[in-house]
Amino acid sequence: MKEPVRNRARWQTKPSSIAVLLLLALVLWGYVVGPLVSTFQRSMSIGGNPLSEYTPFLDFGSVQSEAVRGSLMISLLSVISAGTIGIFLAVLLNRWDFRFRRIYKAMVLVPIALPPLMGVKAFYLLYGKAGTFPQLLAQIFHTSPTTFALTGVAGVLLVHTLTMYPYFYLSVAASLAQADDSLEEAAYSLGASPFQAWTRVLLPMLTPPIVAGALLTFMSSMASYTAPLLFEVNNVMTVQIANNAASQQSLASAVAVMLAAISIVFLIAIRAYEQRTVYRTQSKGGARKRRRVTSPVARVVLFISALISTIVLILPIAMIFLLAFSENYSWRTAPLPSAYTLQNFTKLFSDADAWAPIRNSLEMSAIAVAGAAVLGVTSAYVTARMRFRGRGAIDIAMMLPWALPGTVVAFNLIVAFARPSVFSFGQILIGTYWIVPLAYFVRFSPLIFRSTSSSLAQLDPSLEEAARSLGSTWWGAFRRVVLPLVSSGIAGGVLLAFVAGVGEFVATIMLFPRLKFRPLSIAINDELNVGRWGTAAVLGVVQVLLVLAVVILMRRVEDRNTMTHTS
Amino acid sequence: MSVLSLDALTKTFQRAGTVVDSVKLHIEAGEFFTLLGPSGCGKSTILRMIAGFEEPTSGRILFGDRDVTFDPPNQRGIGMVFQNYALFPHMSVSQNIAFGLEVRKLPSSEINTRVAAVLDQVQLSTLGSARVDQLSGGQQQRVALARALVIRPKFLLLDEPLSNLDAKLREETRSMLRAVHNASGVTTIYVTHDQEEALAMSDRIAVLNTGKIHQVATPREIYEKPATRFVADFIGHNNVVEATVKNASDRSVVIRFHNNAELTLDSQQRAPEVILTPGSRVGVCVRAESLRITTDNGIFAGVLTGVEYSGSGFSCVVSTEFGNLRMEIPSSVPLPAKGERVRLQVAESSLHMVAPS
Repeated sequence: MKEPVRNRARWQTKPSSIAVLLLLALVLWGYVVGPLVSTFQRSMSIGGNPLSEYTPFLDFGSVQSEAVRGSLMISLLSVISAGTIGIFLAVLLNRWDFRFRRIYKAMVLVPIALPPLMGVKAFYLLYGKAGTFPQLLAQIFHTSPTTFALTGVAGVLLVHTLTMYPYFYLSVAASLAQADDSLEEAAYSLGASPFQAWTRVLLPMLTPPIVAGALLTFMSSMASYTAPLLFEVNNVMTVQIANNAASQQSLASAVAVMLAAISIVFLIAIRAYEQRTVYRTQSKGGARKRRRVTSPVARVVLFISALISTIVLILPIAMIFLLAFSENYSWRTAPLPSAYTLQNFTKLFSDADAWAPIRNSLEMSAIAVAGAAVLGVTSAYVTARMRFRGRGAIDIAMMLPWALPGTVVAFNLIVAFARPSVFSFGQILIGTYWIVPLAYFVRFSPLIFRSTSSSLAQLDPSLEEAARSLGSTWWGAFRRVVLPLVSSGIAGGVLLAFVAGVGEFVATIMLFPRLKFRPLSIAINDELNVGRWGTAAVLGVVQVLLVLAVVILMRRVEDRNTMTHTS
Repeated sequence: MSVLSLDALTKTFQRAGTVVDSVKLHIEAGEFFTLLGPSGCGKSTILRMIAGFEEPTSGRILFGDRDVTFDPPNQRGIGMVFQNYALFPHMSVSQNIAFGLEVRKLPSSEINTRVAAVLDQVQLSTLGSARVDQLSGGQQQRVALARALVIRPKFLLLDEPLSNLDAKLREETRSMLRAVHNASGVTTIYVTHDQEEALAMSDRIAVLNTGKIHQVATPREIYEKPATRFVADFIGHNNVVEATVKNASDRSVVIRFHNNAELTLDSQQRAPEVILTPGSRVGVCVRAESLRITTDNGIFAGVLTGVEYSGSGFSCVVSTEFGNLRMEIPSSVPLPAKGERVRLQVAESSLHMVAPS
């Protein structure tokens, strides 16, 4: 018998596949991994101990270790408070039935539309120094508003709690909606008391969504920059990086590397956790029935707690809208602005300068998203359908910017593109228009990657094979079968990335170029700094409306899909 | 000349190891050929290599005398019906069927006629504009078949196409597949783990286990003359009883069971791998339906321990010194009570010898 010839996999030797993979690796290296490595190199001292920038982290009294402790403490407390609110609301609105439940359910998700910078400012104006509530309370109790003002860490925690609870709310509510009623019934039939049914059956089932929510909240709190900035909490890592980005770059680099390391650990933890089993409903059909509450006292308690939570959640957005109608400088020493006008809105359409930041942001975000769509879809397809060594590396590299705080992403770009490089075609990008779309491209590609990946994961590979066996070329099968079926996933990611880009503040403030190309969030920041809150709020309203438009658009895409894909 | 040859085809996966091990097959024009084996035996992998979705680690695939081992699937001209049908959810029934013709850039008038004709053939003429998710499982199955047939493929590949259907629909679809095969004459390669399906439908069957071919033969031959112990166990309700060759001539062989019962068999009643020298051990296949209860001495004796009513009779288990033996008792014969001692006789001509385990 002759020795059989060993065959090599065809696509691995196909020049086009190799070219695509090389290009992908090049882009990920050039704009994602490489800049992080540059920061690491920057943090190493030349001469002497190369790790000397890292020794202060071990010294309990240094500003660096104080910032690490500050960030960790705020994040931990944020997880606890956002978790409490999120789980409470999820259980409240999904387990019991009471008046206006559906309306509340829609309202609790409104804070998702809260714009990044203006949203935090709204919290400040409600609860901070000279804010609405401190002033109201001061009038009632005849004291100084500062008695009641939330400042420093407390203010940051309030912002985190009321903006991050959706991480818990959404995952827990989804689990509750899927939870199998028969499991609880089985517990009762076996003699469990309601308390035992909760602690032994329901809560353990909610562990996965709670852990997922906690990981996300912790990561977002570590990345949070705007809230500490406005509430003047300086001993957190993000603020320390931003404040030292220009003056003490090697110190900032070391802090950025530490923050990146923590974020990467959390990214890996989240990915590992996603692999684990999710409890799904096992019984067929039959929507779960919510408990109808019969006790009148309980009904009032439920109704009122839902009402109060909803109002608290809606207030910041309401404040932005109210401010948008207020005259600039009309808020001095009262709980609310004293004079109102439509001028802020009319100016937007009459004054080209007022409109320019919106146009700039739309443009920058559109450029970034066009690139991000190509990168996100290509890498999603490659990691989902091709088998090759390094697939896991591409997956991690793609998700890396999602895990990295915006401050770190921006700082990496500053370090990497302060010099001419191959990836900037020999130009210095810092100080130019292009650095901003580049930052958005890096930060928001993961959103498109993720949503395309999950669409592809749901798509049966045999559909593509069927098209191939019927005579389609690879490209034909991709265009006529794969693309139409994942288009809603791509569209969802693109819309999310676009909105995120239009509102982006954290990276923009560190990178923003010449005043001529001022993006939206920088314009808001400038207006806030000079006290023109009305003008700033109008720009915030534009952001909120954009988010709403996108949400409605996504709903319609989803509806259209469910209409054509299920009977 | 065979239209499809597999030459020492081998597939090794990094994790699963070698799932197809130097498989050699020749399939003739117009045949209904079945790859039969338990799950994990490599039958689907062979089908996917023929279709071009997997590349063999070594070996060749020939369509006629053309080597297609490395041709992409779209250049092979095969029609495949997937286990889950793989209908395009964003296209109507007609659009699904027309897909392969559009890819071939046929004029639309011809596409329309061919789609209409094939819809007729699978009895779905009224559902051309329906969405695929409005169809029942059986209808989806037929759309998948129509889509594969309409391109007039060189081969029709069917990957466990009946496994998602209920029992009654399976029968119907089975006869429709046969009818379609008879009408179109397309060479068909069918993958299944269901021996009953394989025996009923195939011209020839290849029985596979752990990546290796155990036997390639007609259904009757597979059933009556299993080539290996595995085939004997896998096909039909076979009992395999150990025995020793007492003496053998060119024509006949005397075997002795461990209870000293002796039988004389024709020396052709054996798998090729069985060597008939005095003293060597053999496995004797005793089919459940060839055992019967007797009042004289018989060959085996035991206690009736299990009785299941099967409609045409009873499927019984008799616990003997050779272990549990399965047997069929027709309704026309009086059924002994459970726990009763019975003696069993078997017709020599129905026995078949395989290598011992």
